[in-house]
Formats: sequence, structure tokens, C-alpha cells
Amino acid sequence: MNVLVWLAAILFILMILIGGKKGARSFFSLFLNFVVLLLTILFMTDPNADPIILTLIACAVISFINLFYINEMNSKTITAFISTIITIVILLFFIDMVTRNAMIQGFGEEEIEELSIFSLYIGVDFVKIGASVIIMSTIGAITDVAISITSPMREIFNHNPLISRKDLFTSGLSIGKDILGTNTNTLFFAFFGGYLGLLIWFKHLSYSVGEIVNSKVFSAEMLSIFCAGIGIALIIPIASWINAYFLVKTRENNKIFK
Amino acid sequence: MFCRLCFFVNHNYSFYERPIAKVIKTTLEDKTEMIDIHDNKDYLFNQLIIAELKNGEEKGRLIHLTNEYSSSGAYDQEYHVGDELFVSIDTNKEENTDLTGTIKDVKRDKHVVIIAWIFIFTLLIVGKKQGLFSIISLAANAVLLSYALDVYLNTSNMSLVVICSVSTILFTVISLLLVNGFNEKTYAAIVATLLGTFISLLITYLVMWLTSENGLRYEEMQFLTHPYRMVFMAGLLIGSLGAVMDVAITMSSSIFGLYEKNNNIPVKALKTSGMEIGKDIMGTMTNILFFAYISGSIPMLILYFKNASALGFTLSMNLSLELARALAGGIGIVLTIPIGLYTSIFFINRKRAKL
Repeated sequence: MNVLVWLAAILFILMILIGGKKGARSFFSLFLNFVVLLLTILFMTDPNADPIILTLIACAVISFINLFYINEMNSKTITAFISTIITIVILLFFIDMVTRNAMIQGFGEEEIEELSIFSLYIGVDFVKIGASVIIMSTIGAITDVAISITSPMREIFNHNPLISRKDLFTSGLSIGKDILGTNTNTLFFAFFGGYLGLLIWFKHLSYSVGEIVNSKVFSAEMLSIFCAGIGIALIIPIASWINAYFLVKTRENNKIFK
Repeated sequence: MFCRLCFFVNHNYSFYERPIAKVIKTTLEDKTEMIDIHDNKDYLFNQLIIAELKNGEEKGRLIHLTNEYSSSGAYDQEYHVGDELFVSIDTNKEENTDLTGTIKDVKRDKHVVIIAWIFIFTLLIVGKKQGLFSIISLAANAVLLSYALDVYLNTSNMSLVVICSVSTILFTVISLLLVNGFNEKTYAAIVATLLGTFISLLITYLVMWLTSENGLRYEEMQFLTHPYRMVFMAGLLIGSLGAVMDVAITMSSSIFGLYEKNNNIPVKALKTSGMEIGKDIMGTMTNILFFAYISGSIPMLILYFKNASALGFTLSMNLSLELARALAGGIGIVLTIPIGLYTSIFFINRKRAKL
């Protein structure tokens, strides 16, 4: 049988064993996200569609799936969703500018030989697609940081119901600081794991540092990592603040009703 | 420091042997519409560029360049005034005419450094000390990875997987210690990470062995100068490591957080809260890897689709390895949830026994 089918089956079983119903939903969310991504790509092949707008819509749908479908709609996922969307919009402007200036769109000279059978003049805007690639590779991480801040903040709130807004915000920031490093690491290792072949290639052919840094493939990778890191750092205060605000506000409202 | 480095990348022309030219004037020559065999409409432009040479013997002289680019820009781009390009200069016979040449590549180091600084500042502002440590750990890991690859390329008899396993242990210890400091939280996370990574690697390896790698299309792997299976497995190991570390530290840091807020919290409550947190992050963590791996293929998928390739063929050619990596990483992530929970509880119990 196919390797992918096997791995998917093992993942599915493990997720159900450990996560129960929520595990099953997590697995189906992967599948749904794949469909969303594929549809987005198919829409992008239409030269009249703006890839940036498609990306924004796709990101909203993906974070919707990641947060509401897996975790159900409740105060912690709603605040996570709001923070994600705010961060994505800020990032999108920034990344579009970066891609345009650094000219990292499309394919590098290392890749181009294998593509000689293809027509490259296909009428879609590769600069915008480049920006969309960076955002899409970060969207998973951004929703993750959002939920990993709001979820333990909720637990802390439940264990200490009288905590003040400021303390709650500070504990959100400190959770955020703890995961900041490992989250940037997650993406760093994922990118470099994926591009290990490229690194070996650079080393093997003895590229100079100048050649590596200026090559399109490498600088595109580095810029993706940096932009992802910036996104992860940005969402920490945004999510902590919004979550602290909502949790305390709900408590105050409940008091009034009592 | 900051100003100096920015100044350096803006004026480091003399460090490059390749001639660099800065665009000072561009004129659009003509625009032609073209339609390829798959009915894709695109526009081709011809651009005349006058640029000033920034280094080498001809420094300060003007050079005439031509650039052909398309509106889609898959492998070309329009240049604007101020862009810096690597060029080759045609050998010129006459003395007083302007130089001519061809564009080789774009000078991108400036942009990489500027964004790197923005990255560093954002991390420092948000993360303060932890932000600094994560930057140091990124740098240390990059150096370590580069060194490990040097070792691999220079000693032909050592297997890449062995080297990567050793580096994995070092990566884990360095990153987690730097990010979280010397405390039980970190030790619990290190143990959980190593267990989770190696168990998931073992499972993946077993599956690949049982199915004789049916369904993996190695021909899509680019940049191959070395045995592809090894490179793939090593990439899989390193790729999932970050995510597994992330789960391990999230688990241990929130369980220790609960313990620190209330020292007498029963183990059962820790387990319930821990599993709850684990369930919350399981889906989003697997999605991180999924998107980090798959997104890189978007331009290639679009290119295939626009060249009238069939859906199934395109997906299996471009995504089989990425999907395998994402799934294997997912297995690691899910396994690390109970592993992380129980190692944290183990460390907490040990701490309690000491008191």
C-alpha cells in the first residue's frame, strides 16, 4: 500500500486515541485545509483574480477551520480568530512589499533547468503569488500561537478566577515569550528540513557566502523565515491583550447578572 | 551596530568579485503580447537600462543593459531605478564608448539584512530576554546545521542519518535550554522531544520499509547531488524536530505553570488540564507543519496547472514528499502530547518528593 495512506491512517488512529472526538476533528481539518489550499491554487490560475485577495479569503477560511471546527466556537477561539485576522492583515502589507523589493518571486536559477519543458509565460502575477506563499506558510503558526496563548490563559483564569486584567495580560505575554522561541524554531526547522537538499547542493558546489545570500532560492527562504518570525512575535501581544480584555469583561458582566 | 551593518550591506560592493551595477535610468522599449500553446496570455517587455558600475576596475562608469521580462515574472522581473544587479561586462574594443553587458542576477543581501533587523527588533521588543535567547538559538542552530553538513560532505563514510541524529540531540538541548533556561520544565521538554522525534522517525521508517516506498516520487526532489532517500529522511527528521519541541515545551510549560500557581494541585487535575491543552494544540500544530511544507509548492503547482497537466499527476509529482513529511511530523506531534504530559508529571512528582 501507499506510504501516504499508511502514514495518514497511523496519524488518524493516534489522533483519535489521544484526542478523542477533537482528535478526529483535527485530522479532518487537515484534509479540509488541503482542499481549501487546492481550491485557492486553482483560483489563482485565473489571471484575472488577485492572488492577495484570494490569500486573505483562504487565510480567513483556514483559521476558521483551525480554530472553530477543531476547538468549537467559544470565547478563547473567538479571541484567537480575531487576533489571527488582525495579524494577517498587518503582515500581508509588509510581505507584499518585501517580495516586490527583494524580487524573490517565481523560480530560482537552480530550479529553472528542470522546468525547461514548461512555458513560463502563463499570465499570473508571480510577485503576488510569492507573497501568498509566505503568508500561507505562516498561517498555521499564527493560528497556533493564538490558540496556545488563549487556551492556557483560560486555564489560568479558571484556576484563579479573581485574577486582574493586567495580571492576565502579563501571564499571556509570559506564555507567549515561552513559546516564541520554540515557535520560530518550529518554522526554522521545518523550512530547513525541507531545503536540506538545497543546502547540501550549495555546500557541495562550494557556493561562496555572497552567492548563497544573493541567490533567489536562499534569500526567499530566509525572508520567509524572518517574516514568519515577525508574524509570530506580533500576534503575542495582540492575542494576550484581546483575550485578557474579553475574559475580564465577561466576568464583570456575569457579576452584574448575579 | 545597527547603523553600521546597514551601511555595510549598502556599501559592500568592493567585497564582491562579480561586477555590480546600480540602475540609474530605465526606458521601456516595446511590449508584445504572447500566447503560448496552452492559450495562456502574457506580455513581454523589453527594457533598456543604464546603470552605474559600483566596483572593480570600471567603477563609476556607466553600463548599458537590456532586460526582457514578462508581466507574470516567473523567472524575470522589471528593474527600477535604484535596483542593484550583478552584471557581466562585455569586453569592449573602443575606448570612449559606454560599456555594455548582461544582467546575471539581483543583489538581494540588502533586503535580507533589513528584514533580518526588523525580525530581530520585533523579537526583542515582544520577547525581551527570551526574544534575545531565541535569536541566539536560531543563529546557533544555523551554525550547527552548517557545520553538520560540512562534516557530512567531508567524511564520506558517515551516514547522514547518524550525523543528523547527533545534531538533533544537540539542536534540542541548545534550543530548549536557551529558550527556557536551566530548570525542570526544560529537562522534561528535552526528554519528551527526543522520545517523540525518534519514535515518530522509527514509525515512518517502518512504514517506508513495509511499503517499499510505494507512492513517494523522489524525482520531484530538486538540488540533488547526494543519495535522495538519505536526504529525504534527514530532512524529515530535522523538519519535524521544531514542531515536536514546540509541543513538548508547550505541554511542560503549561503543566508547570499550573503547578506553580497552585503547589497542591492533584496529579489527576494536571492530567485533565494537560490533555485539554494537548487536544487544543494538536490540530493547529499539525497544521503548522502542513502549511510550512505545502505552501512552498504553490508556484510549482500553478505552473503545472497552467501547462495543462492533469490534477492527479501534478499532485503526486509535487506533493508526495511534502505530504509524507507533514504526516510524519504530525505523528511526532501527536505522540509527544502524552509523552510530554507524563514526563512533566514525572518531574513534578520528583520535585514534590524533594520538598
